[in-house]
Amino acid sequence: MKLACVIHRFGADIAGGSEAHCRGVAERLAEHHDVTILTTCARNHITWQNEYPAGSSKVGGLPVRRFPVARTRSLHQFVEISEIVFSGAASEAEQERWFRENGPEAPELLVFLERHGAEYDWILFWSFRYYQTFFGLPLVADRAVLVPTAEEDPLIRARILGRFFALPAGFVFLTPEEQKLVAARAPHPLAPSCVIGSGLEPVRHPPAALAAGLGIPTPFVLYLGRIDPNKGCETLLRHFMKHQATATRTVSLVLAGPANMPIPDHPSIRCLGFVDETVREALLSNASLLIVPSRYESLSIVLLEAWNHGVPALVNGRCSVLKGQAIRANGALYYENFDEFSRALGVLLDRPDLARQLGQQGLAYVDSQYRWPLVMEKLESFLGSLSHPGPRR
Amino acid sequence: MVDRTASAVSVERLMHEIADDLRGERRERALERGGPAEYRDPEIFAAVERVLRRAVESRNLDASLIPALLEDEEDSRLQTHLRFSSHRPLAGSVIVFVKRRILLPVTRWLYEYSLENFRRQQQINRVLFACLEELAIENARLERLVKEQSGPR
Repeated sequence: MKLACVIHRFGADIAGGSEAHCRGVAERLAEHHDVTILTTCARNHITWQNEYPAGSSKVGGLPVRRFPVARTRSLHQFVEISEIVFSGAASEAEQERWFRENGPEAPELLVFLERHGAEYDWILFWSFRYYQTFFGLPLVADRAVLVPTAEEDPLIRARILGRFFALPAGFVFLTPEEQKLVAARAPHPLAPSCVIGSGLEPVRHPPAALAAGLGIPTPFVLYLGRIDPNKGCETLLRHFMKHQATATRTVSLVLAGPANMPIPDHPSIRCLGFVDETVREALLSNASLLIVPSRYESLSIVLLEAWNHGVPALVNGRCSVLKGQAIRANGALYYENFDEFSRALGVLLDRPDLARQLGQQGLAYVDSQYRWPLVMEKLESFLGSLSHPGPRR
Repeated sequence: MVDRTASAVSVERLMHEIADDLRGERRERALERGGPAEYRDPEIFAAVERVLRRAVESRNLDASLIPALLEDEEDSRLQTHLRFSSHRPLAGSVIVFVKRRILLPVTRWLYEYSLENFRRQQQINRVLFACLEELAIENARLERLVKEQSGPR
C-alpha cells in the first residue's frame, strides 16, 4: 500500500506523545509499505517557528516532506479564542478560528493534499486538534484514517467537531475510553475503528544505578514529563506537601522534566529539569512508584513505561483513560481527592510486597497488549479490512 | 513476568477497601466538627455521599437542566472571554484598535489573574447545578416510589 502519515511536527529529536506514536507506527509500517511523512517545518510546539528546511528529506530512513508554517503562533490571540470556544458560546467561525490559531498553519500542506491526496491508498492523520488535521482531513476524507489522540479537555465539547468526526473513513484509537469519548461526540455511529494503543520495547538491560551526583534521596516517588499546571502538577505538589506534613514515613518526590511553573522550595521535593535517556531509565528503574496526576490523557505512555520496568503507579482517577488503564492492568492505584491520594500513596509505600505485585501485573499487561508486533498486527489487519476508496490516481 | 506464586491483586477491590475506610473516617470527622446528626447513621452518610458523588463524578456537567430553564441560557455562564466592539460607526475601528492594542496589554495581568478565579467559579457553578439536579432526580424517584406503595386512592 502507498501510505501517508500527516503530523504537525516530525523529527528524531522531537519529544511528544502523538509525534512519538506517529514515528513508531510509521517506521514499522514502512517495513511493508511505501510510507511518506507529510509535516511542517516546525520543531517548537509553542511558537511553530520554521526550523527544519522545507522540502524532501529522510528521517531514520523514512521519506519526509516538510511544508513551511505561514505564521508563528500568537499566544495572546490563542488564549483569547480559547476562552471564547471553551465557554461553549462560540460561533462556528470562532470554532474554526481556534484551529487556525492553534496551528501550525501550513497552507501548502493543504494544497499538496488536495492535489496529490488521491495518489495514496490511505492517509493517516494524527491529532484532530492541529491545523493540518482539522483542515487537511476533509480534503481527502474518503481515504483518511484519523488517530484523534482525543482527551476529555474542553475542546472535545466544541460543536463543530460533530461534523468533523463524521468525515474519516476510519479511526485508530489509543484506548477504549478515547473511542467512547469520540463516539459520543459524533452525530452518527462512527466509521470503522480499532484500538491499537502504542508499542514498547522490552527492558533488556539490568536496572541502572542512579548516579550519586544527582543527589536523589531514596526512597522516592517519580513524576516524569512536562511540569505544568495542565498536567495536574499544581494539585500533585499541593497533595504531596499536605501528605508529607502528617506522614510518618520519609519519601521524596522527584520531578523530571522541563518546568513551566514555579516549584515550591520543600525539603522532600527535588526537581531535576529535563533529563537524558540514561537518567530517565535509571529513575524509572529505581522509583518506588510513578505518579501520573494528569486529568487529560488519550493514553499515558509514561505509565506504560513504568510498568515496563515493573514499577507500580498512582494515577488521577478523574481521568477515565488513566483509571481504565489502572483497572485493566491491575497495576496502579488511583485517587480522586486528597484523602484517596494520601491513603493510596501510603498503601504503596508501606506495603512493598503489594506494590511489587502491582508493578509486575502492570508489566504482564504491557507484555500482553503493548508490544510493537501486536500493535502493528492490529493496525495492519484494520487497514486491510477498510473498504478501499477506489484506485489511486 | 508476574509472580505467579503470589495471588493476583485486584485494583478495583483494593480501591473499594480504601474508599470504605476513608468514608468511615470522613463521617467521624464530620461528626467531630458538629456535622448533621443524621451522619451518626453510616448508611445515611453513605447514601448522601453516593448522591453527591454521582453529581460530581459521573454526570456530564454540560448536560444540566437548570441553564435551559433560565430566561436566557447565557445568563448561567460567567463570561470570561473578551470581545472587542464599538457602537460608533466611524470611530469604532479606532476605538477597538485602542482597546485591543493599548488598553488590553496594560491591563492583561489583571485579566489573566481574574481568569483563573472565574474558571474556578464557573466549575463550582456547574458542579452545584449538577448536585441540585441529582437531588431533584432522587426526590422524583422517591416521590414515585411512595405513590406506588400507597396504591390507587
